[in-house]
Amino acid sequence: MTELDQDPPRRQFETLIPLINVVFLLLIFFLLAGTMTPADNVAVKLPIGALNDSERDMPATLLVEADGFVWLGDRPIDPKIVEQALKEYLADKGMERVAVKADAEAPAEALLLLMEALRKVGVQQVTIVTERGR
Amino acid sequence: MFDEPARRRNMASLTPLIDVVFLLLIFFMLTTSFLKTQSLSVVTPAPNASELPTDARVVEIWLMGDGTLRVDGTPVERANLTEAVKAGIGGRKDMTVTILAESGSRTQAFVSAIEAARQAGARDVGTARVEKITP
Repeated sequence: MTELDQDPPRRQFETLIPLINVVFLLLIFFLLAGTMTPADNVAVKLPIGALNDSERDMPATLLVEADGFVWLGDRPIDPKIVEQALKEYLADKGMERVAVKADAEAPAEALLLLMEALRKVGVQQVTIVTERGR
Repeated sequence: MFDEPARRRNMASLTPLIDVVFLLLIFFMLTTSFLKTQSLSVVTPAPNASELPTDARVVEIWLMGDGTLRVDGTPVERANLTEAVKAGIGGRKDMTVTILAESGSRTQAFVSAIEAARQAGARDVGTARVEKITP
């Protein structure tokens, strides 16, 4: 009788070990394979590209939504009037390294308006973020 | 008699560990992203489109409002864009590619055009937006 009592807890313990192993493995996989990036304010479907200039960790990232609105940090602005806000936004972030995440379906006009405003503000070069082509 | 309490203590200490590991697992599953991004450096356009050069050393890519592409006025498929620009450049080293985006064209076409121009070996890539391209 005492032997029957002892048996069940031991078996339960032993079946738990492979589970823990798998969970640990998954944990390590996600730790190594994933990169943690802060989430953007709006979901942007990046255009597909082939070239990579390997610019990383841009201090200033502007988003262009599919409907053409430009997000500076946490506020959306029409690209036609973005210049003054850009000046304020980039004042503490620097002009040298500016990234633009534009939606693939965004009007090219909005992106160009934004880039023109950037030139007026004093930014000579922008980095367009693309997704690696399939 | 003395064996049993020792084993039970052993098992009890394992459960919180599993809880924490599960929590960590869920945290990393939700926060990681596997999207591979690349970057494309582009010179910002001059506010005035008339500053762009228009002489013989320029290949123009037109992004039409209906989504089609043209190189120097000839319609081109997106897959053949690089070859068309390369043919327009013709091995010269001092050629400029100008990308004109009509209103209605999309960012994807714009990015493809910039990449095609760079891959074709243009010395300089200029961009401008225009309301309507009149061939």
